[in-house]
This record gives sequence, structure tokens and C-alpha cells, in this order.
Amino acid sequence: MTIRIAVLAIFCVFALTTTVGAHHSGTMFDDSKEVTLEGVVKEFQYTNPHSWLLVDVTGADGKVTTWGFEAEGPSTLMQRKIRRSDFAPGTKLTISGHPMKDGRPAAAWTKAIREDGTEFYPRARSSQDN
Amino acid sequence: MTRVTRVALVLGFMALASPLTFAQDQAQPSPTEWRRMYQMGLAHPSAWDLFQALKTSAGGGQVSPPFSQLPDWSGLWTTAGGGSLFGSAPGGATPKLTDTAAAFLQKGAELTAQGISYDENLSECGPPGHPRWLVIPFLREFIVRPEQTWLSSETVNNVRRVYTDGRGHPSPADAFPLYYGDSIGFWDGQKLVIHTTQLMARSMGRNQPEQSERMETVEIWEKADAATVKADVWVYDPALYTEPWYLQRRYRQVENGDKALRMNYWHCGENPNNDVHKTPDGNTQYTDFTFTSDDDRAQEQSQ
Repeated sequence: MTIRIAVLAIFCVFALTTTVGAHHSGTMFDDSKEVTLEGVVKEFQYTNPHSWLLVDVTGADGKVTTWGFEAEGPSTLMQRKIRRSDFAPGTKLTISGHPMKDGRPAAAWTKAIREDGTEFYPRARSSQDN
Repeated sequence: MTRVTRVALVLGFMALASPLTFAQDQAQPSPTEWRRMYQMGLAHPSAWDLFQALKTSAGGGQVSPPFSQLPDWSGLWTTAGGGSLFGSAPGGATPKLTDTAAAFLQKGAELTAQGISYDENLSECGPPGHPRWLVIPFLREFIVRPEQTWLSSETVNNVRRVYTDGRGHPSPADAFPLYYGDSIGFWDGQKLVIHTTQLMARSMGRNQPEQSERMETVEIWEKADAATVKADVWVYDPALYTEPWYLQRRYRQVENGDKALRMNYWHCGENPNNDVHKTPDGNTQYTDFTFTSDDDRAQEQSQ
């Protein structure tokens, strides 16, 4: 599987309205960058206070790296029409997010497009408090 | 630099640096209405004095009214925005802060601008506490009974119990600090009027100052329309404000036609991938992910 990584500069003020944390802040993610990858769902950790969608990504050298995409907990995801069953293990998808500043394979999940074309947006566009 | 100038700079800087915390919602009272409510706080030297005045104007208020007289606040709710504890109000008014609070906010704004923040409460599995509870996101549920009302939130499974059976607060000699304080109230028709004291001195949130044990609040909760509950809030804390502050918060009913949404138990240690720690420079960092062998703590120590 090919890897496509696109790094896009976006305005911080826009990013701040899309990255909201309870439990912890989002300062570990670089909101000025975006990474987009193609992969296969390994596991959807549908948990509070944050969920993690683990995606296996195969590099050009054939090496598989597991990426973690962080989102809010189940109640927020359900309001964004994202159910646990939407990302069963083995689901092929293209997924985007703001990557970690320290280079580890993790990102604040912003968008996913399943192989069937269905799009998912786990974060609200409107600002939230706290 | 004068104190007024410094406070204005702090608030302006923080409004730019932290739009999440200081976001203002369109669902706010008009500047005239906000001013009227704000002056209600100024007219009373303490939260208890304001609470008693509201009780008098309500003819003593209703204690343990029958279910038939209580409002319907059933369903699930979430924050719909409103005023903030430190930001500007409708019309541009800003809270009058103590020098200590202003200095802390200025330092916090500088850290926020550098991308540095750590949550002394939630990151360590503690509760948000009151009054931060008013602005946190995620689901809420309001359980209204004659003798008490529960104002609950899924975040750390917190519940504020508001006793409306006529009891008073514990005696000062027996009172002790609590995350959500001790709340008593009465009904004024469809309005729930609440006085809260016994609050714990602790951080109010990321890069925000500490509230003191002298903080007390008065709230008036009522339905604004079929899908909105609003809360008028007066905050008294001489460690933070030189004058009581007023804000209005709103909560909207969440669509849940298929009843799939539920209030579930919320444990911050449920998933080890959410574990964070405070870095040497005061920032937040994930500890060790289960899906990678990288060890961030080791990286920090090697730097």
C-alpha cells in the first residue's frame, strides 16, 4: 500500500477551534501541520476520555507502522455520527490529523474517508469551552 | 504600567491566545441585560446576601414543591456557550481582577502563546470542580426532584447536589473544602436559585489562577426555551475579583431520537494511551503509547 503524507500549513486559530481536550490539552500535537495516510484499521479503542483509532500503515519498504489517531470520547463521537462499528478491524481508509510534535506516529484525528467513500469528521467545527 | 492597563493587556492577550477558554457565544444576554444582572451582584456585598435578597423577592421561595410544579429538564444536554470566568462580557466589560489573579493570567497567557499548558485537575484524574464545571463540554443530565436537584456531567462522573428541602449549609465550624462545594437552593416558580459555598482552593484550569476557599456563587437556572436551559451565575471570590463577576451559561438539549446516547462511567485511566505527564518545562505530553515502542520520558531525559 502506498503512503501519501501531505503536510499542510494552516492557521493556528482554525486549529484551536478544532482541537479540544478534556483530561489533557492538545499541545502535544502540531496544529499547523496535517498528515494524511492510507491504511487499515487495526483497532478502534472507543474509550473515555479520549478514543484512539489505531491504523496500520505500510511503507514503501514494506514495513508496517501502527499510527494512533486521537479523538474525543464515545458520547462526542456518537454525536458526530461515528460509531464503533464504523471502523471494524480490517477497514481500509484514508485518514488525516495533526501529527505529534515529537515525531511519534500519532495525530489528532480530523477526518477519515472509508474505502466506500463515507466521510467522518470527529471534531466539531464550532468552538467549545474549557 | 497601571494596573488597569495590565489587566486589559492580559485579557486581550488571552483572548487571542486561548480562544477556547474565552470564546464568547452568540447566545448571550444583551449588553443592557448583562449590565443589569452584573449590577445585581454589585448591589450585594456577599453571595449569601444576594441569595437572601432573591429569596425575599420570591416570597421566601418554594421548598420541596410537588413534582407537578417542577420544570421538565429531562434528556441529555451539553454546553451551548455563554460568558466566561475571565473574558469580556457583552458590551466589552471585563472582570475587575486582583493583582495576584491578573499576574497569574498574564503568565498563563504567555505560556499559552508558547504552546505550553498542563491541566492540574483533569490530567491527574481530578474533577473539574465548580465553577469550572459550568464551562466544560460533554454530556450533562439534570435530575429534578422536590427535595433536591442533581446537576450532573459525564466528565469524571460528577454530580452537584442542590438541596431544596429547606436545609441550610453545614455550620462553619464543621464545613470543609469540597470540589463542588455545598449547594442549597429554593424554587421561584420554574427557576432554581442556588447558593454554593465550601469550595476548595485549587486551579481553575489550564494556565488559569487558583480560586480560593472564600469563593461563593449564586446561580439561577431556568429553561430559556424548549431545548435550552440557561444559568445566570454570580461569582464572589476576593482572591480573584475585586467586584463580583456575572456570566450567563447555556446548555442545549442533545438530539437523541434513537436513545443511543447515554451517560456512561468516565474513568480517565481507562485507556493507557491517554496517560499524560507534566514535562520539565510545564507542558503536557503523552507518556508511553501501547502501539509504539517509543518512550517519550526517555527522550526527555536524554535532552
